[in-house]
Amino acid sequence: MRKRTLKRGLTAFWWLTLVFLYLPLAVVVLFSFNAANSAASMTGLSLRWYHQLFANDQIMSAFGNTLVLALTSSLIALVIGCLIGYGMYRHRHRKLGWLIVLIYLPIVLPDIVFGISEMAFFVKIHELTGLLGPGLGTMIIAHVTFQIPFVALIVYSRFVGLDPSLFEAAKDLYASPLKRVVHFMLPTIKPALISAFFLSFTLSVDDFVISFFTSGPESATLPIYIWGAIKKGVSPEINAIATLMIAAVALAALASLVVNRRKA
Amino acid sequence: MTDTAVLGRSQGMVREARHLLFTVSPGAAWIIVFLVLPSAYLMGVAFMTNGPYGLPQMPLSLDSFKQLAGFGFLGWSPGNLYTLLRSLWQTLVATGLVVIVAYPIAYYITTCRAKWRPIMLLLVVVPSWTNQVIRTFGWMNLLAPGTPLSSVAETLGLIAPNMGLYPSNFAVTLGLVYNFLPFMVLPLYAAFEKLDTAQVEAAQDLYATPVKAFWHAVFPQTLPGLLAGIVLVAIPAFGMYVIPELLGGGKALMLGNLVANQFSGGSNWPLGAAGAILMLLATFAGLYAMRRIGKRLGGGEEVVI
Repeated sequence: MRKRTLKRGLTAFWWLTLVFLYLPLAVVVLFSFNAANSAASMTGLSLRWYHQLFANDQIMSAFGNTLVLALTSSLIALVIGCLIGYGMYRHRHRKLGWLIVLIYLPIVLPDIVFGISEMAFFVKIHELTGLLGPGLGTMIIAHVTFQIPFVALIVYSRFVGLDPSLFEAAKDLYASPLKRVVHFMLPTIKPALISAFFLSFTLSVDDFVISFFTSGPESATLPIYIWGAIKKGVSPEINAIATLMIAAVALAALASLVVNRRKA
Repeated sequence: MTDTAVLGRSQGMVREARHLLFTVSPGAAWIIVFLVLPSAYLMGVAFMTNGPYGLPQMPLSLDSFKQLAGFGFLGWSPGNLYTLLRSLWQTLVATGLVVIVAYPIAYYITTCRAKWRPIMLLLVVVPSWTNQVIRTFGWMNLLAPGTPLSSVAETLGLIAPNMGLYPSNFAVTLGLVYNFLPFMVLPLYAAFEKLDTAQVEAAQDLYATPVKAFWHAVFPQTLPGLLAGIVLVAIPAFGMYVIPELLGGGKALMLGNLVANQFSGGSNWPLGAAGAILMLLATFAGLYAMRRIGKRLGGGEEVVI
């Protein structure tokens, strides 16, 4: 009897928490279809903010920057992180404590310290050499820095999960190291590489603080544009961009569900 | 051992070392050049003097730390100290609330059917995949003056008329809880999933009250998850920038805003860098404390870091 009331109470709490988690997102989506220029009341449905969105050059260029930044940084981080993940696995019997500290550093460092360190450093380098002026280049460098650890850890844990005798078999099968990499290593860790790439991509699109401090005047991404718009006084277009970004996340969630289902 | 064998082994070692160098050095060098050096430079900046444009200058001094403690041209003022205390308080309250919400949620998920659990976890996590600025903007929409939630609070006499629930310290706390809830649910769920129910049943058989059963049979078993969750919530919450900036207005600033503002508007890089050092010290102290507590209570290895 008491058990049943407990279960009922928990179920109610679960649904309340879901409302709490999705209400702010739902409000953004709802107001993106608002006919009035108001954040307080809905007067009717319209797509005018979406039309304005696609006519706004700044938003379109921010969208482009977001994609270029996420793609380029994820690809660079994938190569570097994959190498380091394999190195950690191959040499796991050595004392690599310093490497572990190095890899965890970008993860534990508070965003804001990460961002301003890079900014101060880039400004100094720019002052001394004229290189690394703020822009997409510096943003890509910063993003790769926080993506490398995640790629390395995912790739490493995939290798750890493999049967070590596979490596011996591959050695017997393929004489050259290059062939081993192409025909054995890469195909075996493909799932890890795919999830590492998507995680890096998501981390990049999700990031605001580090991007904000390393960006230049021409390299605003969507989150930076939205931030600026909020600071200037809310423009209803923000709801429309935010809704599109929420839709992208929802699609990603569905995809991950489908992939997991297939695995199971 | 013949000479060739020795030669072969040392060649092998050279090859191994070269392999290690080839695989590890690009990433290690990247992190050293683009994170360790910048952080070291930032720490150096904290010990420099503030120049005319807010940029660091020689000579070395401890001015920035004095300023952080509140000593300025006009004598001592408590502003920065308030900001620091507010950061600590907000972190404490938000982490506590997150724990209170996450415990029942994590437990509830483990009581549901196995095929639903991944979907339920996904439902908890998905909001955190959207950009932080967007999520916070959603709360601005919900809590602004004139919204239904603000009207309810007004009718109940919780806030002054026409003030709205945002900007306020309350809005910041709410934003922090919202932001970090998934980071507590996941490790707690992992702990609940491994829970040895025999211990709980034994406690119930011995007529333990639910509170006692929880305290002696459930809590110790979920402790590693709880500690991992606290690390994932409290450390980033202490350095939070976006949420206090958007939901707090000017009066609810936290350390992250104090630091960031020194690098943007009214700039004073050395002061900002001194704040950053404080944040780093807090981060490492927090990690260290969690490790110690975890080890003493016997759950050490399972804490994520």
